[in-house]
Amino acid sequence: MLIQVLVSGSVLGCVYGLIALGYSLIYKASGMMNFAQGDVLTLGAFLGYTFFSMLGFPFFLAFILTLIIAFAFGLGIERTVFRQLKAKNVLPIYIVLATIAVSYILQNACQAIWTTKMLSFPRIFPIDSLKVFGVAIQTESIFCVAVSILCMAGLHFFMKHSRFGTAMRASAMDSKAAQACGINTSLATGVTWAIAAGLAAMAGMLLGPIYGVFITLGSTIGRKGFAGAVMGGYGNMYGAMVGGVLLGLIETLTSSYLSSTYKDLIAYGMLLLFLFVRPTGIFNEKAITE
Amino acid sequence: MKKVMKKDSVKNLVLLLASVLLPVIFNAAGQSYPILIMCFAFLYMIATSGLDVVFGYCGQISMGHAAFFAIGAYGSAMLNRYCGIPVFFTMIIASLLATLVGAVIAYPASKLVFHFLSLSTIAFAEIVRTLLLQSPGGITGNAVGMFPKSISLFGFQLNTYTRFYYFGLLFLVLFLLFKYTMVNSRVGRAFIAIRENTHAAGGMGINVTQYKVMAFAVSAFYTGFAGAMYAHLVRYIGPDTFTMKQSVMFVTMMLFGGTGSIAGPLAGAFVVLVFNEGLRAFEQYQMLLYGILLLVVIVVLPGGIYGTVRSIIKRLAEKKGGQVDAA
Amino acid sequence: MLLNVDNISLSFGSLKAVNEVSMTVESGKITGLIGPNGAGKTTFFNIISGVYKPDTGTITFDGKRIDGKKPFQINEAGIARTYQVINLFKKMTVLENVMVGMHSRLNSGFFRSVLRMPDQRKEEEEVRRRAYEWLGFVNLEDRAHEQAGSLSYGEQRLLEIVRGLASGPKLILLDEPAAGMNSREKRDLDELLQRILQKGVSILLIEHDMKLVMGVTDHIYVLNYGKKLADGSPAQIQKNTDVITAYLGGE
Repeated sequence: MLIQVLVSGSVLGCVYGLIALGYSLIYKASGMMNFAQGDVLTLGAFLGYTFFSMLGFPFFLAFILTLIIAFAFGLGIERTVFRQLKAKNVLPIYIVLATIAVSYILQNACQAIWTTKMLSFPRIFPIDSLKVFGVAIQTESIFCVAVSILCMAGLHFFMKHSRFGTAMRASAMDSKAAQACGINTSLATGVTWAIAAGLAAMAGMLLGPIYGVFITLGSTIGRKGFAGAVMGGYGNMYGAMVGGVLLGLIETLTSSYLSSTYKDLIAYGMLLLFLFVRPTGIFNEKAITE
Repeated sequence: MKKVMKKDSVKNLVLLLASVLLPVIFNAAGQSYPILIMCFAFLYMIATSGLDVVFGYCGQISMGHAAFFAIGAYGSAMLNRYCGIPVFFTMIIASLLATLVGAVIAYPASKLVFHFLSLSTIAFAEIVRTLLLQSPGGITGNAVGMFPKSISLFGFQLNTYTRFYYFGLLFLVLFLLFKYTMVNSRVGRAFIAIRENTHAAGGMGINVTQYKVMAFAVSAFYTGFAGAMYAHLVRYIGPDTFTMKQSVMFVTMMLFGGTGSIAGPLAGAFVVLVFNEGLRAFEQYQMLLYGILLLVVIVVLPGGIYGTVRSIIKRLAEKKGGQVDAA
Repeated sequence: MLLNVDNISLSFGSLKAVNEVSMTVESGKITGLIGPNGAGKTTFFNIISGVYKPDTGTITFDGKRIDGKKPFQINEAGIARTYQVINLFKKMTVLENVMVGMHSRLNSGFFRSVLRMPDQRKEEEEVRRRAYEWLGFVNLEDRAHEQAGSLSYGEQRLLEIVRGLASGPKLILLDEPAAGMNSREKRDLDELLQRILQKGVSILLIEHDMKLVMGVTDHIYVLNYGKKLADGSPAQIQKNTDVITAYLGGE
């Protein structure tokens, strides 16, 4: 029983982590809070379903295609919408509202293009489940955790050890200084948003086979994902991963062993707790100051 | 200066007179739907005015005002159902409850600024909604919701749109009057100082925490009362009414009408309400169009509708070589 | 001794911004605080006015301990301040800025204000009248109803000063009031400082303009790298070799 709980907690935690990563990346790069991440997750799930189930592509191809579309989407809205808003120096509240508008558009577009019903994502693997520590675990769950870990490791290496990754970090830290060093900050910001969208879409494709595909798949997770980002330290990449996984585990453990009625309260409660008591998060990230 | 004041008072009186006569005209024409729209308009105007106090004047963002709307609505419904208190008094008590909750949550939240503050209000509102959906003992009716009665004032039932209309109009005027006296006083100046420059406000001897809590509390009272009005107008409330979408709608109404003014929230509430009603015809595409239009307006008109209209008027006045009315 | 600062220190992480600084400010005098950029002068002001809590040391004002108190409490105790970067309430009118300055001396709370009780209405009339008077002190009465943000830089600085004076403080902290002023404006400022003294308000002044500082202050403290380098009369400070080296960047 404990193993099952830990596994579902990890699955959820990885998804929270991927969403929270997106939040922190965008915040560091553009200073904005993006409320559309959850709905990009939903979009990713629907796209994955379309390619894999409806069009019958091999899963790997469906995965890549979805990521490409998500990248394009992230890059696109940064370039067309958010860059303009930032340049016009609008009040932050309008930017928040704009991201919410994007989330409404995504949600309703998914509904219009696909359906309001729940779609069933077919199994990815021929084997139904694997035995870990004597317990049967759904293969897709293992896949989800494995891919998330690989992805986070990949992102770490990319950011720390590649030229472009370092350029992205520099742009996020100090845009003017980075430009002075010849870094194309506009490209770096666009790519950050693209990666954030890609992470969310990936999370959707990892979650779809386990939870099913429906239009509100991402919205609650998107909101609760903020808790993961704050817990780790908002703006901190590693914090987002750690915070997300921690949140998933705490939420699943509490709802399994204590009470499942108030499951949602846990994420929001943790969010409030951290905001009121330790807003800089576990990693003490001072990105947001007075 | 006095001449401008007189002009304003005349304008307001005319508006008031027109508002009083409106239902008479519509009823004569046999149209009750516009009266219903105005009933909604009044309660949204009150709710948005409340949000304007805490954001427009005091500069504190709240993306969770649906929570106060809900506390007012459910509070009033539950007090009537389980304690037998007549409906009008339940509205007052529920609003006071919303005020209390607002003050309590505002106290720790006062240390937070923009982004984190908005997250905390969202989290707070979601917690309230979850508690409404899964209430202890099912007292809120959980997913089914509740069916509140209509307002009864000393035995007189406000069970027609026209009766509710006059009730709504009366209370809107009262709430606006109180907003006016509040913002044009030492309290209002403290709010604005905090908004303009929190640092310097403290240096002026303003207890910033106390005033932030005050702004939140007042705002909660307004939106709570509006929620109670909603409950006794629609006569059905469920957890789905009080989602983040509702909070976002309040913010949209306030921004589009213009913050930090008496008239702004009124215009914004009315425009967005009518707009939403119009979108209803598109059924499943309602949210899509709403999102697109919202995005377009934000990108194209960053000052909001009110700000844009004002700057157009200003530029026209300047072109005519006349004096710019510092309204 | 109006203000007694005893061995104040404040660190930000590993940086010691203010290092065991002691200072006394006498009543009825103008005390100067000078030092190269980054010496910690504004941080020092922030500690006195309650924005930061010192790690060690005490501050006594008018016989009472004020270290660790919140900014509004320090204002209530009788200390006002202006800021290095202009911190006016830009969207309020000139008059309203001064009215806000009087906040701590007024009594109308929430209910009295909302219900427009008679004593609140009387108080508001008083507030307006006195605010006008204060604007007269710096010749800004005819700008009373303009937006504070539309004033010239020098006028904004003057407005900040009367906004501080409006709370009736015993001591006002002025952070670089002459910054961006031309020589005529600086002469006017010199004269304004004397008038402020005449009103019974003592002054602690951060300034970079040496001519102004030497001419107007009674006693000067010099900070460098967060530490007190020297203190004395203007004449003594002018001859102090450590001070000269610090400014000219010797070593």
